[in-house]
Parts: sequence; C-alpha cells; structure tokens
Amino acid sequence: MDMSFVTNLILASVRMATPLIFVSLAELYSQRAGLTNIGLEGLATIGSLVGFMVSLLTGSPVLGVLAGMLAGILVNMIFAYATISLCAEQIVYGMAINIFAPALAAFIYRVYFGSGSDLVQVKLMSTLAATLGITPNNFFTKLLLDQTAMVYLAYALVVFTAIYFNRTKSGLNYKAVGEYPKAAATLGIDVIKTKYIASIICGALAGMGGAYLTTCYTTTYVDGNVAGRGFIALAAVIFGRWSAGGVLLACLFFGFCDALQIRLQVASFGLPYQFFQMIPYVATVLVLALIGMKKAGPKSCGKPYRKEER
Amino acid sequence: MKKVFALMLALVMLLSVVACGSKTTETTTPKTETKTETKTETKTETKTETKTEAKVYKVAMICDSSISDGGWGAACYNAMIDAAKINGWETAYSDMIDQSAYYDTIVSYCDLGYDLIYAPGNQYSDAVLQAAEEYPEIAFALLNGAATTPEKAKNKNVTSLLPNAKQIGWIAGALAGLMTESGTIAFIGGMELDTTKAKYAGYAEAAAYVGEKAGKTVKTLDIVYSNSFSASDKGIEFAKAFIDQGADVFFGDASAVDSGARQAIDEANKAAGAVKIFDIAQPSDILGQNECIICSQVTDNSSLVSLSMQAVMNGTFGGEVIYGTLQNGALSAGRISDLVPAEIQTQYKAYLDEMVADTFMK
Repeated sequence: MDMSFVTNLILASVRMATPLIFVSLAELYSQRAGLTNIGLEGLATIGSLVGFMVSLLTGSPVLGVLAGMLAGILVNMIFAYATISLCAEQIVYGMAINIFAPALAAFIYRVYFGSGSDLVQVKLMSTLAATLGITPNNFFTKLLLDQTAMVYLAYALVVFTAIYFNRTKSGLNYKAVGEYPKAAATLGIDVIKTKYIASIICGALAGMGGAYLTTCYTTTYVDGNVAGRGFIALAAVIFGRWSAGGVLLACLFFGFCDALQIRLQVASFGLPYQFFQMIPYVATVLVLALIGMKKAGPKSCGKPYRKEER
Repeated sequence: MKKVFALMLALVMLLSVVACGSKTTETTTPKTETKTETKTETKTETKTETKTEAKVYKVAMICDSSISDGGWGAACYNAMIDAAKINGWETAYSDMIDQSAYYDTIVSYCDLGYDLIYAPGNQYSDAVLQAAEEYPEIAFALLNGAATTPEKAKNKNVTSLLPNAKQIGWIAGALAGLMTESGTIAFIGGMELDTTKAKYAGYAEAAAYVGEKAGKTVKTLDIVYSNSFSASDKGIEFAKAFIDQGADVFFGDASAVDSGARQAIDEANKAAGAVKIFDIAQPSDILGQNECIICSQVTDNSSLVSLSMQAVMNGTFGGEVIYGTLQNGALSAGRISDLVPAEIQTQYKAYLDEMVADTFMK
C-alpha cells in the first residue's frame, strides 16, 4: 500500500461524501425544527431527475442545481403541509414521499424520454481548476482545486450551519422550536413559520444533494441513482449528534468507508469481495457502539405541534 | 378546508403508488408487420388458421436495471422489441424492479394473460420457476439461465436462452490482450452471477493467451462487484481505482455501472490529452457512445427471443436450452474503433475466425 493509495482514497472519500453532506444537512435543519423527515431519498431522487433534465435542456448545470432545489422544495411541501398544518404522522408521510417522489421521477423520465433505450448524457459542472485553467497534478491541487463549486458550497454550508445554530439568536430560536415548541411560542417565536422554513431548507438541500449526482458527479440519470443516500443521511445526523460538525465527520466517515471498500476490492488482496463490502456496515456498528446510543436529538422530533393543545 | 386538503394529499399518495406499479409501458407493433407475420404463421399452421389470425401474442420483460442504461438493460429491451417486430407481438416491460418484486411482477403479467415472460438474467431463475409452476399455460424465457433450469420446471414451460458466456469473455479478452500497453486489464461485475464469472474467466484467459502470443504478459486484475446495476457512481470509483492500479483496458457486466466507468475513463483520457485507456462494451454495439469504447461484444439476443416466440406460436415451447454462440451467429464482435491500429484489427479478426472455427487456444 503506497502513498498514492492513501491520497486517492482521500480524494474518493471527498467525492462520495459531498452528496451526503447536502442531504444530511437537509435532515439536520428539519430535525432541529422538530420534523423527522425520512423522505430524503425521495426528495434527492426528484432533485436528481429535475437537475438532470434542466441541465440537459439548458446546458447549464448551475440551473440544473437550482431547479433540483426547487423540485425538492415543492415535493417537501406535501410533507410540510401534512405534518405541520394537519399534524399528521411524520414517519408515515416521510415514507409516502419516498414512494411518491421516485415514482414521479420514473414517470417523468419515461414521459419525456419515452421508452427508448438510448443513454442520455449531460455535460458536468466545471471544476475550479478547469475554470482557472490549472492542471491539477498533485494531491493538494486535486483536493483543493479540482472540485466543483458544489463541493465548496457543501463545506461552506457546514460552517454556516454551525455558526447559525450556535452563535446567532435566530439559530437558537430555531433550535428552541425543535426542543420545546410551546415554550418557544411563549417567547414570541412563530413555531409554524419556523417549521415551514425548515421544510423549505430541507427540501432545497436534499434536492441539491440529488442534483449534485447528475450535474457534478455522473453524466447520466438512472432510476435508483440516489442509492440509499437518503437513509444514510438519517444515520449521519444521529451519528453526528445533531451538530453540523458532527454531521460533516459522519458523512466523511461514510464516504471514506465506501471508498475504502471499493479501493480494497480493486487492490486484490486475495480475500473474498464480500469481506470488503461489509466494511461500511461493520464500521457503522462499531462507531455507534463506541459513541453510545443515548438520544441527544431535539426533544420534539416526530411530535406534532398543536398550538391550542395544553 | 383541511379535510379537502387531506383528501387531496391522500389522492396524490394513492396516485404515486399507482405510478410505482405502472412502470410497464405497452407498445403495439406496426400493423403491417403483424399482418405479414400472421400470414406466414397461417402457412405453417393450417389447422389453427382462424385462431392464429385472431390471436395477438404478448410478451413482457422484467428487468432489475433500467432499459435506458446504455448497456445490458438497453440491449435486452431492444432484443425484445426487435423480436416482437419480426413476429408481430405486443410488448410490455417493467424495469428497475427490486429482487423482492421479481415474482410479483412476473405473476402480474401472467394474470394479464401474457403469452411469454422474458426474464433477462440468471438472478430471476427462482422467481421464474415458481411462477412457471403456477402458470403452466404461460411460457417463460430466461436469458442467461442455467442449462439445468428448464429441466427443473415441472410443466416444461421454461426455456433457457444461453449465450456462451465464456465466448463473450473471449471476444473482449482477445482485443484487450492485443490493445493493452501496461499489461494490466480490468473487469467490473454487477452481481456475482455464474454468467458474470464465466465472462470474467473467458476474458482473462483470452487476454493472457493473446498477450503471450504477442510477446507480453497480460494480467487481469481480480473481478470486483458493485452489487448494483444502477450505481453509475460506483462505476466511476471502480474505474478510477483500477486506473490507479495501471489498468488500461476495461470490460464489464454491470449495466449502468459500466456507463459510469466509461465516464471515468473518458475523464482520465482527457486529463492525459490522449485516448490511452480503452473500454470494450457489451452486449450491443455502442461504438461512439463514449470516446474510450474501441469495440463492443455483441449478443444477438433478439434472435434467441425470436426463436422463443416462434416456439410459442408453434406450440413447441419449453424444456429446452437455446444456445447463443459465435458459431450460430448469436455472438459476434461489433464495429472496431479507429483507435485500434489496422495491424491489431487484422490480428483480432484472425482470432475471431479461430473462435468461430473452434480452434482458439487449441
């Protein structure tokens, strides 16, 4: 195992962690307002398709990402209305989104592209290095410059989120809604409005995570390309103890484990491939056991807020 | 007001479930072709003249990958469409179905009165055998099914369409062995299927043999599995990892994962300023889809599906294995890219001739 194995592994980890960061932050914003949204897989799927189609039609991956955000917001408004205004069960509606959105994406794809079997490909977003005309020829230039704007945005959002939740009055009010909404309401915080804002942010970030896949990562859209990232993001939020920094570490950890199993399979150590494929799962179990399972999340998560209820 | 919204939401959710189950798209073949084929049929089956004129046969395909994957799913779907056009059949398909839904999807088509269920993959064997037992009047064609699968069907209504996986590997391996400069080649598998392992074995042995003849040692890196046919991002990561290991010719059996691998190869070639890393596609000729593709291993699945359809129409379907080989024309090499030097093209064609003559590696 040489140095290039390690450096390439780190680069692969960053690539694989980026969509997870967006989707995990989406869940973090949702849960911090007391909304457990397990529909991230569906939101990312619709974002992925819409991002792909808009990128294809306009030739602009940036517009694709924006459209993916919008699609995520629109679909998440179903969840928001049902769970905030109608006080419906959050888990049930999250699951409904996971059924509805991928089916809608498959339906739109078939309607637009027909039943043809041609592989449709789009141009990906340029990296900073390509924009600046720099050839990344070492590890640091590859890590720091050979990335799309979305990667920088993902890390910037982590920093912003950490500051927002811990250093601003607005962020503390936001967190109060997720902890004890009735107390927050007595302080004059508009709980319903905050929850709707949380849903908009959640939809936008999850849609961006999906759109990243088809505008920055792969040139094609295939049904199922989100590949469980919505569920991994749920685990990442718990893993990261509901903090922005923790979520980032969790996403990098999941990305690293997945990249590691791929690299180890290719490195051909003569072991059965199943041994390497179980690495992400074994690592998750081990880390969860080490950090403990004690619930540390927002207290009102999953509970409907009824203004008139005592 | 809230009740109205709640009802609307429930309706939306209901529709979403309907959309989930309605991936099936039915296409009707051109009327002119149907008429032509019906006439042909009546010539051979005079006893059932009136029946064959009235009967519109229907075939349904199930697939766990997308039919738009630019690889396996696309080729299998096209095979069904081509065969249906020739024989005047109606078609339907369900793609991207989960393993847990194989049986239910098959049974749904059986209940709808489809005459032939076309399942392109060894992974559907158990579901097909179970459904075949419950629906003795319906025919099941299992592409890449094992040679022993038809005899396991109690009602003798299952046929294995079996392209020779080893020969498929040979077709790709011979070109890989000739084209590799680093002496290291790679193979990406989707799932650990017998056919995938046979393709890999054929690929590795043909490349080693051809390389040895050309005076070089060719090493095929261990097979890897993405455990998915739709994770094109995994294809990118596998390809990047293989390139880091020095691989310069790729072959695969992983549908959209292969498409991802080709994207990574194209990116690596672009970064290098020249096309030095190549990919061999399968199972249809997609030369030109990506810059790195130098040739395709082509499997004429449509001829195999067509034979199944004719057997259904003739009432002779079932209990057999229809082999697809280089010798009967079901397997072949597609167009060769200009990236392959003329001298190597000549050598490759000579090896293909040896394969057809069954003298390759002998």
